[in-house]
Amino acid sequence: MKVLTMENIEKHEKDTQLFPVFDLEIAAGEITAIYSTLNVRSTLLNMIIGKIPIINGEIRVKGVTIIEDKRAFLNQLGICFFEEGMYERLTVHEYFMFFGGLYNFEQDFEQVFQLTQLQGKKNTKIRDLTFSEMKRVQYGRLLIQSPSIFIFEEPDLNVDMETKRVLINITRRIQEEGKSILVLTGNMESAVTVADRVYRLEEDGLRIIETETDEDTEVKEEITEVTPPEETDNEKELKPIQLNKIPTKVNDKIVLFDPPEIDYIESNDGQANIYIKGEAFPSSLTLTNLEERLQHFGFFRCHRSYIVNLQKVREVITWTRNSYSLILDDKEKTQVPLSKTKMAELKDLLGLK
Amino acid sequence: MTFSMKRVMAIFQKDMKDLYKNMYVSSTILMPLIFAFFYGRMDDLTVEVHFVVINLTLAIVTAFLQCSIIAEEKEKNTLRGLMLSPATIPEILGGKSLVTFILTAITIILCTMLTGYEPTNIGIIAIAIVISSLFYIALGTLMGLISRTVIEASVLILPVMFIFGFGSMFVPFAEQYPILSVIDYLPNIQLVELAAAVEAGSGFGDVLGNLGIIVAWVIIGMIATVIVFKKRELDE
Repeated sequence: MKVLTMENIEKHEKDTQLFPVFDLEIAAGEITAIYSTLNVRSTLLNMIIGKIPIINGEIRVKGVTIIEDKRAFLNQLGICFFEEGMYERLTVHEYFMFFGGLYNFEQDFEQVFQLTQLQGKKNTKIRDLTFSEMKRVQYGRLLIQSPSIFIFEEPDLNVDMETKRVLINITRRIQEEGKSILVLTGNMESAVTVADRVYRLEEDGLRIIETETDEDTEVKEEITEVTPPEETDNEKELKPIQLNKIPTKVNDKIVLFDPPEIDYIESNDGQANIYIKGEAFPSSLTLTNLEERLQHFGFFRCHRSYIVNLQKVREVITWTRNSYSLILDDKEKTQVPLSKTKMAELKDLLGLK
Repeated sequence: MTFSMKRVMAIFQKDMKDLYKNMYVSSTILMPLIFAFFYGRMDDLTVEVHFVVINLTLAIVTAFLQCSIIAEEKEKNTLRGLMLSPATIPEILGGKSLVTFILTAITIILCTMLTGYEPTNIGIIAIAIVISSLFYIALGTLMGLISRTVIEASVLILPVMFIFGFGSMFVPFAEQYPILSVIDYLPNIQLVELAAAVEAGSGFGDVLGNLGIIVAWVIIGMIATVIVFKKRELDE
């Protein structure tokens, strides 16, 4: 059963093409993420809620478009915007009561408070909540609405760990109820952690980002690729003068980094970005190349698109039985996804069983 | 599209609670009360003076409350959430109008108690004030649709307060400049004339003309609101 279908969606803005024609279907019980820039994301959201007209294609929720039946469409669609206005003077309980009245919610609010971990804040004015708590109030509002498809825009940007855990719990629960989720984000880590299927949407169109499923076979192929005999010969010759520094490009300059400086490396559309103190530096090497070079420095390929410096890892977080993240020991407590298969490998490496 | 009383009540309760904590807006209720308090200490109040306070309440409390609670939804970006919810526009405006109407009624009752106004025929006066308040609610809605923030709303309210709140002060000028005689047909002046007639002993049939003019204003206000609403909706 398809809950959300997008057909023939495209957007041109003046001379530039925001994204070419694409189709997307989300079935019941699926969690899908679209990784994109802010511009693409807000355009897509505005198309969904009918603020930007769709020229050729259509977006259907449970088989209806917004033009055919606005009520039915909006009833089955719940959106958690990143910049959501809230009635700041109301308390959390009053806020939930209000939306309970609007959406005809007849269950107990206690369950919502528990899922969002806001029991202690029931009678606090929304104005006095922290940013993370406000986000949880917004998740709560969606739970009250209980639509067939939940759309989250940047659900976990700048939130604390507790809130992220709450979010992941909520998403699993929504999935268990057979409802679908679409996450729109500009943060790859968040997309990979929350969703089962991750797409990238940009000028080249909508493309799936491979996550775990066919990982093992691909990795093997890559390994066979990089070990032709001539190359090993070359390496032998070069060994005495091989540099351990990692080259990156900054405005046509080549900057060399010491491996211990690097926090983690993220692959973004075939381009490896090296993250050092929160800043990204594009590298000319591929992720597989980098992995090979950095293995000896205690780096670890924790995900298809990530290499992490294990010296910088502070914590391994288990969100659910098969979703993990690594927390780095830096100021922002950066999170790096850890895939299920790699979790076992990491345990071996750490001598845990 | 069904009109659900439950959703109207949800919006009504939400706005009541919200307004109760919103000092910036709710403190405007104090202004007519202060006027009423000072006038109440004077002796021999004429009907005109009682109705300066009542017209002021209608202009400041009714029109401004309605205007600012609509403008605030826009300012705080909460209107989008409401529009995406099952609540329809008549339900949203209905809930808000109910808040304004009840607060207006409370304020006017308090004011008349302070000034000691006791009309000879309370039924006719009550009907006239209720119909007038519908006009001011429509006017407030109209201004709420135009203004984007509460600050803009409080600027827009100034001419309304001037014309409708203190309108009776222009009446002497109308005798000098015939062109100004149109202000005789303003709803606030009509309300005063109606009240004066009632004090003079007129019955319901005698003031139908005045009531008719006020009803006409209500209809004009509503039509204007619907036109502006349709236009704004297309702009968005």
